[in-house]
Amino acid sequence: MVSISFLNPLSPEGKDIVRELGSFEGISDDIPELRRLVTRNPSQEIVDDKEIPSNYLELALKRIEWYIKKKHDREFNSRRYSFLSDYSITKYDVISFYLLCQAIGVKFGPNSRETRVMVEAQGDLIQERLGKLSVQESRLMVDQSLAMLLHDDMVHWTFFQELLSTRKIRLTELVLDNGELILNEEDFLHRFGSRIKHRNPDSMYQLLIGDELKELIMVKMIMQETEDYIKQVHEKARVMVEPNPILLELADEVAEVLAEPMQHYGYGSGRSGGPMKAGPLNPLAFPPCVKKALEGIKSGGRNDAIVLFMTPFVSYARLYPDVFRMNITKRVSDQDPQLEITENEVLPLIYEAAQRCVPPLFDDQPQEKVNINAKLGFGMHSTLKMEHEGETTWYTPMSCEKIKLHLPHLCRPDDVCKKIGNPLSYYNRRIWEVRNLDKEDSDSEDNQSSTDVNDIGNSIKNENKNSDDNNSVEG
Amino acid sequence: MDLKPATPNERRQYYREEWDVNDIPEFIRKTLTQREFGFDHMGRGPNDRYRVFQNTDYLRKFMRYRTPFAAYSSVAFYHKPRRRDGWIKAELVFDVDAKDIPIRSCGCENVCEICLNQAKDIVHGLIDTIRGDLGLSDIHVVYSGRGYHIRVLDDKVMGMDSDVRSQIVKYLVGSDVPRSEYSSHGMKYNLEHFTVPFGYPQVFTDRVKQALLNLNLDTEIDEVSKDIKKAVIKHRELLSEDQWGLFRKEIGPVRYARLVKGIASLNLTLVDAKVSIDLKRILRLPSSLHSGVSMKSTLIKNLETFDPFQDAVPKFVYERKD
Repeated sequence: MVSISFLNPLSPEGKDIVRELGSFEGISDDIPELRRLVTRNPSQEIVDDKEIPSNYLELALKRIEWYIKKKHDREFNSRRYSFLSDYSITKYDVISFYLLCQAIGVKFGPNSRETRVMVEAQGDLIQERLGKLSVQESRLMVDQSLAMLLHDDMVHWTFFQELLSTRKIRLTELVLDNGELILNEEDFLHRFGSRIKHRNPDSMYQLLIGDELKELIMVKMIMQETEDYIKQVHEKARVMVEPNPILLELADEVAEVLAEPMQHYGYGSGRSGGPMKAGPLNPLAFPPCVKKALEGIKSGGRNDAIVLFMTPFVSYARLYPDVFRMNITKRVSDQDPQLEITENEVLPLIYEAAQRCVPPLFDDQPQEKVNINAKLGFGMHSTLKMEHEGETTWYTPMSCEKIKLHLPHLCRPDDVCKKIGNPLSYYNRRIWEVRNLDKEDSDSEDNQSSTDVNDIGNSIKNENKNSDDNNSVEG
Repeated sequence: MDLKPATPNERRQYYREEWDVNDIPEFIRKTLTQREFGFDHMGRGPNDRYRVFQNTDYLRKFMRYRTPFAAYSSVAFYHKPRRRDGWIKAELVFDVDAKDIPIRSCGCENVCEICLNQAKDIVHGLIDTIRGDLGLSDIHVVYSGRGYHIRVLDDKVMGMDSDVRSQIVKYLVGSDVPRSEYSSHGMKYNLEHFTVPFGYPQVFTDRVKQALLNLNLDTEIDEVSKDIKKAVIKHRELLSEDQWGLFRKEIGPVRYARLVKGIASLNLTLVDAKVSIDLKRILRLPSSLHSGVSMKSTLIKNLETFDPFQDAVPKFVYERKD
């Protein structure tokens, strides 16, 4: 029988396992039983003896490695990680889960890439494990875990506040009636049965809720609990005297596993190559919303478009394009120590967009210049001065989601937009294609690429004119 | 009725002779000290902010003597409203502005009876969903002067952050096309939104219907051609009888998919989402004068019978000579 803790290590059963272990003593000792379980698994493929985890710490790293490889390695072979879905390892798996959360919590904290990877890996692992069970077994497990997670038969949707806030689930995915989440079949039939015409209510239940929605909610709730647990650890660690060196060591090793795909397969965007270097802006790679804003905002929303949208986008695209990949908070001066690029390239482009608004933004609202400086991290002052840097934070570019809400008129998505969630990712993706295009161009004729800020307005017009050509190259 | 701005004399007359501090809804009066107030004295935006009133009498005096162009109060409750600090919670607000309805049947320049009525229909639909699907109560509707504010004071949602609020907006307005492909035990099934008579697909169907019934040939919808719009106008009678399957067939499944996708993205402007996700917004004070159009912002007791041109017109408008 599969234990609930195999899916949810934070369940009471999982906590019992940790309690039984007691302390960190002997945590890195070899566990012959674990090795035996891994090697006896019939679907397990072992290429090298070193691949077999022989203690808690190695098992912990295997969990992360599985996720990273599955995501980034084209030659990923799932059979090399078969043991991860074998419930006979539950006891060891639970401990390794706690070790990971604690290591990441102590060293990196809840807002780190390590935490994000850990939480996502846990979610994927649960799904992988459920997939290996029979339909009956999996259904039973999901029902049991949900009963434990939800505490009550009837749950108001507001209970999922955290999951909604972190967008782990979408409100539109839930089936709601009178504020209550409908998950169970009897309840569904009781509330909606009489309204359903020309269709069988039972099969409608199976399609709309059935196993899929229950599984989704269970998985996302466990992911959220994992995140919350890491946060708790982090907060406790801040008042603790000295974290256990084993945890710090494990944290470093996790970071190494995470760094590997950056070197080998290129992390995140799927493209290959090293880190994204900052360089002169290339308007040909701007997403449709930025191009539209550059043409000038003619109706309402001028302030938001220039101050909240364009300022972060232009500054990050020019100075720190891989902010989301690096996940390290920086200041403008970290990237532009003399603020020369900011003064000569970034601000002029933002001002130009402001000038093209109808009416020109600064004509009636000159104070918005101060707000632009504030969004660059230089406080509420009329000039950029190093001594003011840090009084406010350097705003990161708005996500597509936010743009749709704040500035719906700017959002006119094209094909590339479907693959990204932030205009900056669009720019990073396109700039590679555009650069290659430039290279091809300069091979055939001596064509100067239009990266001079003063040319930007013109090149946008040119690009609009030639948009068919550009599309054909893109396709 | 001519919606022209109020003169400073008319403002003075309104606040001294007609307005009563007890016209401010109780839900604001009883939380007065926790709210920030803002005023626009010159008609150039509310730049007199961070005002706090210890009791209604101070507020009454302020309004009588300053007779502001416009008055606002925060949707947020603070421990220190004077510094906009110590945020406790905020009303959940939906702003339906008649001027900004994405598909308007009237085509007027500003607002008129037709689009105000359309705004009212939208408000009805939103409130049904707020109550029925989201199970929220303590809902108040205020006529803002150019449209309607729905203000939800249910404690279940007042502590929620902007991200949750943005999800609520999307649910209410129907800005995502519900999925139509489902699978069960390895088999694929198709369920169009209009075949599901509850939950979000039902909300979406209601909003799309509202849009299609008001659409005209000039309505701009992304990637929807004039031909599709013509077909909609020709066949939309089917929708009054909820013959969605037939309607979709007449439009053609591919064109239909494009049509609902276009409407879904327009739906995001049914309400001003910025207002809903802003946790520190100030909103026009009910009972105060909208000087731009000379109308009273009014708490509505019965939305069915409310008529802004009857119930929200200040006396001075009837006394105008020209």
